[in-house]
Amino acid sequence: MAQTENPSRDRILGRIHAGLRTVIPEPAATRSDRIIFEPINDPLKRFQQECVANLMECTLTGDCAASAGQLSKVLQSLPDGEAFLQDHPSLRRLIELAVPERAVRWSTQGSPAEASQATITLAEALIAQTGSILVTASCGGRGASVIAPCHIVYATAAQLVPDLASALGRLSQQRSLDRNSFACVISGSSRTADIEKILVQGAHGPRRLVVILQTGGY
Amino acid sequence: MSTTAAQRFLRDAAEKSADLVHRDLIRRGMESYDAAHLAGRARIKDWEAARQKCQEIKREAINHLDRYLLQFEEKVIARGGHVFWAADSEEACTYVKNLATRLGVRTVVKSKSMVTEEIHLSPALEKVGIKVWETDFGEYIVQLRDEPPYHIVTPAMHLNRGQIAKLFREKVDPKIDSDDPAYLMGAARRKLRQAFFAAEMGISGANFLVADAGVIAISTNEGNGRLCTSVPRIHVVVTGIEKVIPRLEDLAVLWPVLATSGTGQGITTYSTLIGGPRQPGEVDGPEEFHVVLVDNGRSQLLADPEQREVLHCIRCGACLNICPVFRHVGGHTYGTTYPGPIGSVLTPHLAGIKEFKHLSYASSLCGACTSVCPVKIDLHHHLLQNRRNATEAGATKSSERLMFRAWRSIMLHPRMYALGGWSMRNALRIIYGLGLAGSILDPMRVWNRHRSPVPLPSESFRARWRKGLGAN
Repeated sequence: MAQTENPSRDRILGRIHAGLRTVIPEPAATRSDRIIFEPINDPLKRFQQECVANLMECTLTGDCAASAGQLSKVLQSLPDGEAFLQDHPSLRRLIELAVPERAVRWSTQGSPAEASQATITLAEALIAQTGSILVTASCGGRGASVIAPCHIVYATAAQLVPDLASALGRLSQQRSLDRNSFACVISGSSRTADIEKILVQGAHGPRRLVVILQTGGY
Repeated sequence: MSTTAAQRFLRDAAEKSADLVHRDLIRRGMESYDAAHLAGRARIKDWEAARQKCQEIKREAINHLDRYLLQFEEKVIARGGHVFWAADSEEACTYVKNLATRLGVRTVVKSKSMVTEEIHLSPALEKVGIKVWETDFGEYIVQLRDEPPYHIVTPAMHLNRGQIAKLFREKVDPKIDSDDPAYLMGAARRKLRQAFFAAEMGISGANFLVADAGVIAISTNEGNGRLCTSVPRIHVVVTGIEKVIPRLEDLAVLWPVLATSGTGQGITTYSTLIGGPRQPGEVDGPEEFHVVLVDNGRSQLLADPEQREVLHCIRCGACLNICPVFRHVGGHTYGTTYPGPIGSVLTPHLAGIKEFKHLSYASSLCGACTSVCPVKIDLHHHLLQNRRNATEAGATKSSERLMFRAWRSIMLHPRMYALGGWSMRNALRIIYGLGLAGSILDPMRVWNRHRSPVPLPSESFRARWRKGLGAN
């Protein structure tokens, strides 16, 4: 690939070096024993509480059949239109059980259409501290979590991590960002408060974020 | 007629502080922010430790800016992205303009970015015939009004729903028949969806540049930032060099602190990381990814031992929201890209101390801004330093210098001071007695024009002291 022409790069770096020659005495660092965030003892309970605060829908299911039942219920509540799914064996199994009465498009067939009514994906992790789901480009791509008015996430309780620090630490350790050009911590449906600070759910992205959280494995 | 920035500020400040509809709107907006901000802070166990941690992260990043920027650049290039270093606004705009022209771009969708406002990117693109859509709801509203953002987080804070409904009827759809915020958002969503899917280029800012992972971090609630960076075939990031942070794990504290200070949320709805164009095997995403690192005067601040920390700012808007001056005069009065306390500190560095020295006086020095800053920037002392710097640079008027010389000499001579006090008390007594308070003859006119005069003391402080005030 062609190298970007950068006539000012060295000049800017030179100015930075020159500026940093002015040494500013640094105050002592914080004591590392100060605890910033309340420790999380029960990640599942905390996750559920935060989902409520974030205006997300989270349903606990015991097994794959129950999850499929829940998925059918959510899909039935939506207007007619295509559903987009991350192409993954666990979602193929789920859809076989749920038998949705609507057209289905898999991520291996391309990105979601603008008119999709729902997107169904897995997550890399669930974060209890903030009631968030962590997705990467591997979870059906970038558009999967933002184009349709309803995003449904199929996850297991084993994917719960207590806090942001552990979720980001895991991303670093597993070098996930070397394999994915995109990752996102999603904490609710899209929203705005740009008019008179009044909360409106469903701005440019989904109006609903639904988590089907299976206590057993896939 | 040419007016200076200082004259415009005074004129607009007087107008806005007398506009009761505007004041009511801002008061209600700020009350709602205050409540959310306090509740958000209460959710963090040790808020002061969180601020301290954020300050340390940003200090480490800025004190090793060269190293972290190079690390970030290397990672982005390795993933097939491009990094362009722009010394000033012109270089940044030219790069994006040339890129758009070369790649046949006719439509651009933009998510919120204060740096693109600073460098005036949209007018530069429109000049060469490229249609630019602001897609953040507030930014879209102010773009339709041909106005700059009013506030760095809530750009349309100065408008009520009735004004916005009327604007939408005129500019978006004549059939708009409600001023319900959800209905208006729906109308904007439908319009902007067409833009997202028609645009060849998406332009975003970045809240952070993560050095060790080589990714940009963007925080957005509406999802427009997500669409801008997912759907068009080219993604351009325009950001300041000071946005870099050392490690991905730093976001575990920066994200919650930014959200708490910005809106009172525990975390912004979409906290996104992007490190390059679509990789082999990925379903979607842009084919091209460009990061424009803008200096535009920032590197000069590094050499200033007092004010280097101004580069720690994470643009949360907390100092604007708490500032009693901002709450009265509003965002547009400042006439700068960055309003409020941080803007008053930063603008003289970016745009010239001579023209913008008056901003250092748009403060009561109460220190409220410093008390809420999530990265602990000593904002009100920096305003004082800017006042001093302006004076030392000779940017003050000769009449002002003469007045202060006279004041200094009076302060150093007790008898002259006593005489001055006596003359002033008696002169004011006569002026007030004649009913001329607030008139052109009143030396206290600036105060008395809009207020009742403060009652005059019968004798001087020194006389009262002699009579035993000291003993009490």
